Amino acid sequence: MAPQMVLVLLAVCVPLVYPAMALRPGWSRAMRYVLPVLPLPALVLALATGPGWQLELPWLLNGGLWAMDELRRLFLLLTAVLWMVAGIYAVGYLGARNLRRFCVFWGLTLAGNLGLTLAVDIGSFYSFFALMTFAAYGLVVHEGTAEATFAGRVYLVMAVLGEMAILVGLLLAAAAADSQILTDLPEAIAGSPRQDLIIALLLGGFGVKAGLPLLHFWLPLAHPVAPTPASAVLSGAMIKAGLLGWLVTLPFAEIAMPGWGTLMILAGAVGSIGAAIPGVVQQKPKAVLAYSSISQMGLMLLMVGAALADPERAPVLFSVIALYALHHGLAKGSLFLSTGLSVPAGRLRRAGIWLLIALPGFSLAGLPFTSGALAKLAMKDGLAANNLDSALAGYLAPLMTAGAVATLLLVLRYLWTLRSKVETGHNPPLLAAGWLASVGVSLVAFWWLPWQVEGLVRGPVWLPQPYQLWALVWPMLIAVALAAVTLLAKWLVKQR
Amino acid sequence: MTLNAWMPVFALMTSLIAAVVIFALPEKGYRLRTTVNLGAALLKLGLVAVMVWGVFRGVDYGLSYTMLPGVTFMLKADALSMMFAGLSAVLWLLTTIYAVGYLENSPNRARFFGFFSLCVASTMGVALAGNLFTFFLFYEMLTLSTYPLVVHRGTEKALQAGRTYIIYTLTGGAVLLLGIAWLHGVVGDLPFRPGGHFGDADPDIQQSLILIFILLVAGLGVKAALFPLHGWLPQAMVAPAPVSALLHAVAVVKAGAFGIVRVVHDIYGVEASSALGLLEPLAWLAAFTILYGSVRALSQGDLKRRLAFSTISQVSYIILGISLFGPVAAAGGLVHLLHQGIMKITLFFCAGNYAETLGIHRIEELDGAGPRMPGTSVAFTIGAFGMIGVPPLAGFITKWTMGSGALAVDMGWVIAVLVASSLLNAAYFLPVVHRLWFREPADRWPRECRWGKLETSAWLFWPPLLTAVMTVMVGVLAALTFSPLFWAELIVLREYSP
Amino acid sequence: MTLYLMAGLLFTPLAWAVLTLLVGFTRGRLITWAGILVQVLVSLTLWLAVSRDGGFYYGLGGWDAPLGIELRVDGLAVTFVLLTAVVASACAIHAGVYIDPDKPWHRYFWPLFWFLWSGLNAVWLGGDLFNLYVGLELISLAAVGLVALGGSVAALRASIRYLLAALLGSLAYLLGVALMYGQFGTLSIAGVVFWLDQHPVPAGSGLALALMIAGLALKTALFPLHRWLPPAHGIARSPVSALLSALVIKASFYIAARLWLELGEPLGSLAAAQLVGLMGSAAVVWGSWLACRQPELKQVVAYSSVAQIGYLFLLFPLTYSVSESVALQARQGMTLQVISHALAKAAMFLAAGNLILSTGSSRVNALTGVSRFLPFSLFSFGLAGVSLMGLPPSGGFAAKWLLLQASLGSAQWWWVLVLLAGGLLSAVYVFRIYRASFLDGPETDQFYHPPRSLELVPMVLALMALGLGLVADPVLSVMALPLEDGSR
Repeated sequence: MAPQMVLVLLAVCVPLVYPAMALRPGWSRAMRYVLPVLPLPALVLALATGPGWQLELPWLLNGGLWAMDELRRLFLLLTAVLWMVAGIYAVGYLGARNLRRFCVFWGLTLAGNLGLTLAVDIGSFYSFFALMTFAAYGLVVHEGTAEATFAGRVYLVMAVLGEMAILVGLLLAAAAADSQILTDLPEAIAGSPRQDLIIALLLGGFGVKAGLPLLHFWLPLAHPVAPTPASAVLSGAMIKAGLLGWLVTLPFAEIAMPGWGTLMILAGAVGSIGAAIPGVVQQKPKAVLAYSSISQMGLMLLMVGAALADPERAPVLFSVIALYALHHGLAKGSLFLSTGLSVPAGRLRRAGIWLLIALPGFSLAGLPFTSGALAKLAMKDGLAANNLDSALAGYLAPLMTAGAVATLLLVLRYLWTLRSKVETGHNPPLLAAGWLASVGVSLVAFWWLPWQVEGLVRGPVWLPQPYQLWALVWPMLIAVALAAVTLLAKWLVKQR
Repeated sequence: MTLNAWMPVFALMTSLIAAVVIFALPEKGYRLRTTVNLGAALLKLGLVAVMVWGVFRGVDYGLSYTMLPGVTFMLKADALSMMFAGLSAVLWLLTTIYAVGYLENSPNRARFFGFFSLCVASTMGVALAGNLFTFFLFYEMLTLSTYPLVVHRGTEKALQAGRTYIIYTLTGGAVLLLGIAWLHGVVGDLPFRPGGHFGDADPDIQQSLILIFILLVAGLGVKAALFPLHGWLPQAMVAPAPVSALLHAVAVVKAGAFGIVRVVHDIYGVEASSALGLLEPLAWLAAFTILYGSVRALSQGDLKRRLAFSTISQVSYIILGISLFGPVAAAGGLVHLLHQGIMKITLFFCAGNYAETLGIHRIEELDGAGPRMPGTSVAFTIGAFGMIGVPPLAGFITKWTMGSGALAVDMGWVIAVLVASSLLNAAYFLPVVHRLWFREPADRWPRECRWGKLETSAWLFWPPLLTAVMTVMVGVLAALTFSPLFWAELIVLREYSP
Repeated sequence: MTLYLMAGLLFTPLAWAVLTLLVGFTRGRLITWAGILVQVLVSLTLWLAVSRDGGFYYGLGGWDAPLGIELRVDGLAVTFVLLTAVVASACAIHAGVYIDPDKPWHRYFWPLFWFLWSGLNAVWLGGDLFNLYVGLELISLAAVGLVALGGSVAALRASIRYLLAALLGSLAYLLGVALMYGQFGTLSIAGVVFWLDQHPVPAGSGLALALMIAGLALKTALFPLHRWLPPAHGIARSPVSALLSALVIKASFYIAARLWLELGEPLGSLAAAQLVGLMGSAAVVWGSWLACRQPELKQVVAYSSVAQIGYLFLLFPLTYSVSESVALQARQGMTLQVISHALAKAAMFLAAGNLILSTGSSRVNALTGVSRFLPFSLFSFGLAGVSLMGLPPSGGFAAKWLLLQASLGSAQWWWVLVLLAGGLLSAVYVFRIYRASFLDGPETDQFYHPPRSLELVPMVLALMALGLGLVADPVLSVMALPLEDGSR
């Protein structure tokens, strides 16, 4: 127990105490270089210790309880890894203006993001969630431009409304459960007469963070205007916090809720496909990526809806959701980090860089032999119609296909816009190192991380079966075809 | 009489004697006066700490003697008085330190600190009063001793504010006196007793009891800034920052709210109040005040006025909490007595710092003040988030407890009020925080003074940081024994099952 | 032993008056200090004797009523005797320093002072209607003389007016006494009570009482018969004003109260009681209103006296046909009110005198900056003001409380409003003074600082007024000391 306790406290306290370094102006250089080190204890905690431990902190808030189970472990892992590579990147990326301020908010947001994955009691969870939310404001408005200020305001307004919804939802649920522990909530909500109200509040409240359609307006404004490493963690890790919020509070395995399930599936469909429409017309690469995040969260929302509708399937779907989140987070993080790159002059080197930029994107789209492929296959099996008890079960397969098409379209659009915006030149070494690390983690190190999809994917995990290969590839072909047609049409129009 | 009986008197005497000594010292006796001030504050803190420990273990402190025929002067230390007394003692010490720095090089310091000590003595008396008559005694003393503090600056504006203040508070005092005298006429001299006295009230006097309650609440409501009796508070902001901090965090507003708590809990008893139909209107009035104060705060451009309206809003949380007929809600309201005090005093200290160091009085002048005065601004940020109710700060504990309590008695509309109030708080505090940290400062500050290495004078620097740390501690460690929440629950326990 | 004490109380002041007549102001001051010491000691001893043995009647020279002069000592009388000792001593000490010894006619100050004191003692201890008249006249003449002592035209005019009012009042009173003698055949109050116990009330006997009360009301400056007071109290020297406001007008009230308490039930009527109360209320409102509008400091204090006198006359409705406990509360309240007003008003006038001395002007708006440079004098003024406003813990508050209880207990709600509103109205003019003095003025100290002894005296009196509320119960328990059965 003791080493875990130390690790846990370090994991949360190191980034929390880190802002104190800002007190001395002379330490700003040191602050910069410490950035990548901050998530290290958390990473060690996620990898080295097995899940299933608990830490009681009776003096904390209303009685504190921190723990790590399988689900939380994956989220912790995602958070730690992504923040680390983004931190390396940030060392090279950041200018000197307002550096200390950025580092302070970075540390606080990280602490919040890490803490909420470990918190099992309502007080700690909500505290870390709020810390993360409010500290991220500092990251969003860092650049100080008019756009950034506006984006920050929208973000803050929606975030505060979301916080209030979460608060009321948690209050009602805690009253129903007569307990301050998150794990007691789902059962209590299932049995409560105010069930619908509570679920609506929690869905909406966490949905603001997770980019639920109609609550997503802040996302395309905020993610692009933040500094690049901050965008990476915003899109990669922080919106997953909303997802985690749903997973730990909503009554998944308790009772069947076909109404809510159907609603969520519809919302997921709207999100995954609908986000592509404004996304493909964006001019800025980061904006495209932001819409892509909404789209991907839409896919995860499909699974959440399915889990709500069919409690039998819920445990399986949970592991798939966690896997998908991990994959998306790493890939999206890598994509965001590449927006700040400068490409070298030489043709061979440039081609290589472009390949490395594109691969995580294709991974998102489901390119075979990538993490995306695994995730998509797992999702297909998880949502297979014959196993799922839901009204919309039959529609899920075409929806997933459409989602895959949308994904690749957005990735292609991203590459297209990046091509026109990218600069030629040298990268600061740590910036390049950070980006390379993110690519490596997304493509390679992913396979060694402790996710599980037992009973879901047969054979060697990384090697899809032939029939599966085709299932993965043909949506991509459609997307490529659509893209080509569009290009052709434009060229023809320009000729006229 | 035993030592225990005299403890409350000693606690009162420290500041009374300090006041007399300070009045007697010459204006120039700066060092000696500061020593007397701080020494008395520390001594009082020690005495209060001893009494807190004693009350926890069930020791009886108090004395009484017949002052007038049929009327006793009674001092008594119970859990509720210790909560208020503890708050006063701690915050008096910090405010004294702050005031020493704030008033440096200004005239009339002897007068200020003399009345300051009297004010604290009155507050301690209000806290330790054992019946309504004694309470009233110290309540009016509080009015009188705060007037010279409000008009301290001696300008026309200050005197005008003082006039408004006196009109409101003396009229409230007259109404309160009527209520107390009538109550005495109907039932005689009643000491404060948890659970109240009217559990099985005679139906004949019910009509009178209802009217008396209204009179008492109206009289107390002036100081507690209940709508529509709040008009004096924003005007009193013209006083120096230590006075605003003291009035709004500790002495005057809390005395009013404390009085209402005493009336509802220890004179009428919460069951009787509910049976007489008095609690619901009180809850509505409190809820209205909460929203009204926050709405008015939105439109204020002067920093201290915005904080004043915020106070009007926040103090009514206490009243709302105790007017819900349930122990958890009552605990939530009571704990806010402490929490709001700590948070609000932080904010006022910071406002004073900005005014003294940079000459800032209006919110739009705060642009970029964060990096220039980081310690103060961090304290302000913590205080602001505490007010909004962001966990793990003090305000969150209050809101969570009150929300849970409201649900327990099926009064869900209270949660809507709490949420609306939080949103309004966010609307008028977050822009200020944004200005502090995320805007570029103007070319020159309105009026800058430098103090050497620290961003401002050391006397002004440490108190807000200390109270900000307390805000965090009180929230994070709320489950510890002797946390404010623990103490509030103890009080409620003794009230609902005496 | 007590007999000698009583004699001492009546005759030593007379002796001292003669003594001081023979010397100038400065020597007179020394003699006065000795005299004060004697008087205070005697008063204290009498008080102790009464609290130990109870009250009693005493016929002077061994001649009892209805032929001889009868003195009556009960708790109330001895309380007032002691009060007089305290206040008069304070005023004398203050006057000793305040009054300019060089002005020739000031040598008459001490003799007049001692005549006044002996007259006061005669009134407190008197049990006989005619002797009360003698005492009253002595007081009035001495007071008029003290007012005129300034020598200025305004002072003389004020004193003439005062004299006229006093004489008119005395005339009415004497007429009443004559009527009463004609109807009841005795001049002693106890004798009248005894007579009324035995026989039915004759018609028209209320007239006698009414006349006496009217005359006494004029001497006490009850609204609307108050016009003589503000000039007299305002223009006189501060120690004189203090004596007048604190003690002189209380003397006539004391007699009126005695008469009403003993004879009001049989001879008075409900309408009369309420009427007197109404006039008292009008006095409260009118006096406060005018006090707010006065540009001169001492006029504010004088009109404040007019207002406070109004409270005293609430005794009348609150003791007429009410229950025993209510009547007791009203009497107790009134006693406290008289004592605290005496102390507070004396303090206020003395402090005002100090302030006028310091600022060199008698106007209110000359007080700018006083709070900064003359805090001590202002403080005594302020503390006295607290008692006048009836704020705790002062004696004024204790009095207000008891009167509130009496009003509520006898279901006379309207006096409650008067009491509360009166307190608020007095706050208006008291805070007007505070406000003027808190206004910040010139940066440097341009005030004359009076000697410490001058400043101490009003402070002591104000503290006593303030602390009276805390020790009200012991004081009242002395007052309620029973009289021996005085039936003859």
